[in-house]
Amino acid sequence: MSTTTTPETAGTPSSKKLAERFYRLIGAPEAGPFALLVGAIITFTLLNGAFASTLNIGNLLAFTPELGMVALAMTLLMTSGEFDLSVGSVFGFAPVLMWFFFNEGIFSLEVAFIITVVVAALIGLTSGLFVTKLGIPSFLVTLGMLLVVRGAALWITQGFPQRTWAAEGAILADILVSDFSVPTPFGEIKVYMSLLWFALLALILGYVLMASKFGNWIQAAGGNPLAATARGVRVGRTKVSLFILTAVVSAWSGVTSSIRVSAANPNSGDGYELEIIAMTVIGGTVLSGGKGTIIGTVIGVLLLRVMRNGIVLAGAPALAYKIFIGAIILGMMALHSYLQRRQRAIA
Amino acid sequence: MSDELIRLESVSKFYGRVQALDDVHLTINDNEIVGLLGDNGAGKSTLIKIISGVVPLSSGQLYWHGKPVSITNTNDAIALGVETIYQDSALVNQLSIARNLFLGREPLKGPRILNRMDKQLMEEVAARLLGEVGISKNIPPKTPISALSGGERQAVAIARAMYFDSELIILDEPTNNLGVAETQGVLRFVRNARDSGHSCIFIAHNIHHVFQVVDRIVVMRRGQVVADDIDPKATTIEEVERVITGDLDFIDGEMTASAEAAASAGARTGV
Repeated sequence: MSTTTTPETAGTPSSKKLAERFYRLIGAPEAGPFALLVGAIITFTLLNGAFASTLNIGNLLAFTPELGMVALAMTLLMTSGEFDLSVGSVFGFAPVLMWFFFNEGIFSLEVAFIITVVVAALIGLTSGLFVTKLGIPSFLVTLGMLLVVRGAALWITQGFPQRTWAAEGAILADILVSDFSVPTPFGEIKVYMSLLWFALLALILGYVLMASKFGNWIQAAGGNPLAATARGVRVGRTKVSLFILTAVVSAWSGVTSSIRVSAANPNSGDGYELEIIAMTVIGGTVLSGGKGTIIGTVIGVLLLRVMRNGIVLAGAPALAYKIFIGAIILGMMALHSYLQRRQRAIA
Repeated sequence: MSDELIRLESVSKFYGRVQALDDVHLTINDNEIVGLLGDNGAGKSTLIKIISGVVPLSSGQLYWHGKPVSITNTNDAIALGVETIYQDSALVNQLSIARNLFLGREPLKGPRILNRMDKQLMEEVAARLLGEVGISKNIPPKTPISALSGGERQAVAIARAMYFDSELIILDEPTNNLGVAETQGVLRFVRNARDSGHSCIFIAHNIHHVFQVVDRIVVMRRGQVVADDIDPKATTIEEVERVITGDLDFIDGEMTASAEAAASAGARTGV
């Protein structure tokens, strides 16, 4: 890190500097959701001690990475100024395709997985090219893709779930989603490999977004595509590669989920796209592009999972979950816009 | 006479059946600031879009240092050394000064596969450049563009052009929406750029600003260059305004009543 000494702050009392730093901290887009996450964890623990039990934490962390990984990829895509509504469909379609290949005896599980990932990449490529080459808004393109991909999943399976039990002991299953116990002072917590994949992806994408040249291009593509193009940034190619990334991660997550729950249902993943976008915007990524935060998305992912789980444990009707999520989104958006106006006023 | 930098020979541009440029001949020399004037629709923006690679020309030829070149996209123009600073689209508001300065040409550090930007170098250079271009305030290079004033933004864009040694800097309305002090600042940045060896094409609606900074004035009318060597020191703003509107012609260094004006307004008194 570079140490910059600014002459005008050198003589001022450190309390002012501290206050400045504090304001910058609470002005960060991640601060609001983080405070809410901490508040939610404390509240739910007080309401029902079982919330903080090792069993519940294990449960909580089982499903989190599957939506979370897609939300991480979506963060980059949204930062570049686009979004993808077809992620839930790809999430359901990918395992259906893989198990179809395997159950029909066409390919081994591993080869079927690789082919599935390639097909997902082609889906992302198609959406990306429609958006960048034809100039159609990503809302319309990926809405169409949502229907095409979901329709394909239903057609291949004729609406029936695929058999998945042969995954037991397969290398692919071990790599994606094998579970192991982590000893803690409070007991053992069951952790799935997918949590490690989520953490790894968060680290990689966080690095890409903030420290790499490609990350600078992603932010510029979303912030001001005209200026970026004038600087020689390949805006179209940047966006297309993020569409591909998002589709591939969705497929990966869908397959992971199917192995974990031993079911490849052509309807699975329905509605996930909105929950994933919610996780991303709650964390502080801007829907219109230019600004994104991986840390914020990780917080957003945890927050929504904690809410869903905690509300049930606290005895509230499970069906009320959506009310809370909606309220959180509205609240967070109001907070972000307030903080932004405040920062502008200070500057 | 200094050496020629870019030359346009018989350049025409059609948008469908609409002719935006009609047989344009124009030369920009090394180390000069050329003011490009003309009414709306005169072809100024089409001309700079062709030079900066945003649109291709329909016919004609470009020469760079006397050699024929083709500019088919913005990267071609950047590679030659043409830097275009558009009014509103020069910078990405969400990104910091340092990230904007190096956008598209980010310096890397470490193994290539990591694609890691050398942020330290970027910030050091940014801090130095802001001083060089003449911003008096001490602005940290991590500041996002959205926190800067209009003049400071122009300064960042000009600093970028100077750093990357663009031989030709095209400024499209750089003084639009700026206050008096800020405008003076921007004009100073432009002079600094010329004094350190860059040529500029300066486009502005405000002729006063053009007069303060340029070495030579070019006037366009209906897709044609109608005057290309008006000396701002030897003419008045009013005369140049009348050349823009078609009231006067500038031929062989002399202002004369234009043929079309005489024909259409024969009864009018005056010149």
